Amino acid sequence: MKLILIFLSSVLINNFVLSYFLGICPFIGVSNKISSAFSMGMAVTFVMTITSIVTWLVNHYILIPFHLEFLQTVSFILVIASLVQFVEMFIKKVSQPLYRALGIYLPLITTNCAIMGLALLISMKNYSFLEGIFFGLGGGIGFSIALILMASIREELDLADVPKPMQGAPITLIIAGCLALAFMGFAGMINV
Amino acid sequence: MAKVNKLSYEFLKGLWDQNPILKQILGMCPTLAVTVSVINGIAMALATTFVLVFSSFLISIIRKLIPNQVRIASFIVVIATFVTVVDYVMRALFPEMSKLLGPFIPLIVVNCIILGRAEGFASKNNPFRSLLDALGMGTGFLISLLVLSSIRELLSSGTILGFQILPKGTPQLLVMILPAGAFITLGLLFGAANLYTLVRERKEKEVIITKYINT
Amino acid sequence: MKTIIQMVVVLTVISIISAIALSEISSWANPKIAQNRAKETEKAIFRVQPKAKSYKKINQSGLELFQVFDENNKPLGYVLTYEGNGFQGKIRLIVGLNDSLNVISRVEILEQVETPGLGNKITEEPFLKQFENLLTIPEIEWVKGSKPTKPNQIQTITAATISSKSVVQILNEGISKLKDLKQKGLL
Repeated sequence: MKLILIFLSSVLINNFVLSYFLGICPFIGVSNKISSAFSMGMAVTFVMTITSIVTWLVNHYILIPFHLEFLQTVSFILVIASLVQFVEMFIKKVSQPLYRALGIYLPLITTNCAIMGLALLISMKNYSFLEGIFFGLGGGIGFSIALILMASIREELDLADVPKPMQGAPITLIIAGCLALAFMGFAGMINV
Repeated sequence: MAKVNKLSYEFLKGLWDQNPILKQILGMCPTLAVTVSVINGIAMALATTFVLVFSSFLISIIRKLIPNQVRIASFIVVIATFVTVVDYVMRALFPEMSKLLGPFIPLIVVNCIILGRAEGFASKNNPFRSLLDALGMGTGFLISLLVLSSIRELLSSGTILGFQILPKGTPQLLVMILPAGAFITLGLLFGAANLYTLVRERKEKEVIITKYINT
Repeated sequence: MKTIIQMVVVLTVISIISAIALSEISSWANPKIAQNRAKETEKAIFRVQPKAKSYKKINQSGLELFQVFDENNKPLGYVLTYEGNGFQGKIRLIVGLNDSLNVISRVEILEQVETPGLGNKITEEPFLKQFENLLTIPEIEWVKGSKPTKPNQIQTITAATISSKSVVQILNEGISKLKDLKQKGLL
């Protein structure tokens, strides 16, 4: 039960983009078309789930037993960077269509703070192994939902007459503000 | 474009022409997250500038030793090291501040401004120029955070740096402190910056045209 | 081949230098951080037990628990720091209790990351004041939107119900652990 709650809360209530402000750069950069938003969301969800597994193992079996907590930031970012590289090579070998769909987004993920934020939040909240996985999966799906919602709004926006100074990033941020307000309606549904 | 090669321009360009937030739209996450109050904004900007200056300087010194393929990985390790240093120093010397900013300090690692300057500038320029560039970018970051956090703090609680500015009893806009307020304020700020640039460009064009007509 | 060796060597050297530097920094900072924390806890002990003159740490089942005494060295009660999950993250609080653990002298929040302007009102006086002289039997209860009617009730903050509820839950959990210890005669 707690696992489902953690999952739902990281999808809707504590949405990574709209309430933790993590992963804003891809959120603004890759949200102009639904198809690319969908691919990016998939790539991020995939990497986030694996990251939550690997960083949890690194944290609990290497850093904490040897009292190396001060290496946390350095080792997490290295793990994430090599993980992304590895995932990229793996996808390239296994499935060409998938690689064509996700390929160009994978290198961008290394500097996506949602991934690093996820690793740190899991260690900060003292989540167990399974809780961490559900949190990562939920975070990724929440990120995808926000990204796809944004992309669908922006596709419609192409037809609207936006004042010139507000075009691009400014109007995107204001829409994100409205989305954040809407997502606040979920707050209070669950208490984790 | 003569001013581009001047040393002073390496510093000044970060303030407006290439302001990391308003012009390059980098480092959004900490910008939105910490600007609920002015003091948080200042502390975050100073911590980021510290990391930016030291990592840019160091990366610029060792730039010729690093093979191209492991460039990004090495930069990230250098940056992560400085970030951890900042984190520990703040926790040891300024416990109050570190409590407020706690979760965001480790995220300086993935602040695109730092990696962006390391990759885009420090890895191609000499240490002195990189230092100036980093200082300029850090100051630009500070300015943007100051503006954003002043607006948010003023409208949400009527204070700046804790001092009462608006008369007591002015309605407080709670939304400014929430994520939604952060997004909307920053969006409007971007719009204002764009408007200013557009107006200035048009004026410059008009000056050129009148010159042309007069001759 | 040469580039591969160079790659490995450079990365290794950078990582080793970084690890050495960081271990130096952390061994310098860690005692200071612990000291800050201890100092802060000590100050908070006297704030939540205003009549206390001295205190003694009690080592019991991993709790951060203190017994406090008045000027005649007579036991006044206990101080407990305890933590749990709030709306956004961890809440760590400190509570002062009388000797029989049924009345709270005062509660303070030591660490929290609740929403600024909403959830973080749990650190402000109007909310904390409600806990002074609050009964803990059978346990603390919360009411929403109306004034409390019983001596063991507090009112949750408008628009921050979850954060307020979390504080009550954390308190109840910590206090029930103390009551268990008391029953077993370990306090």
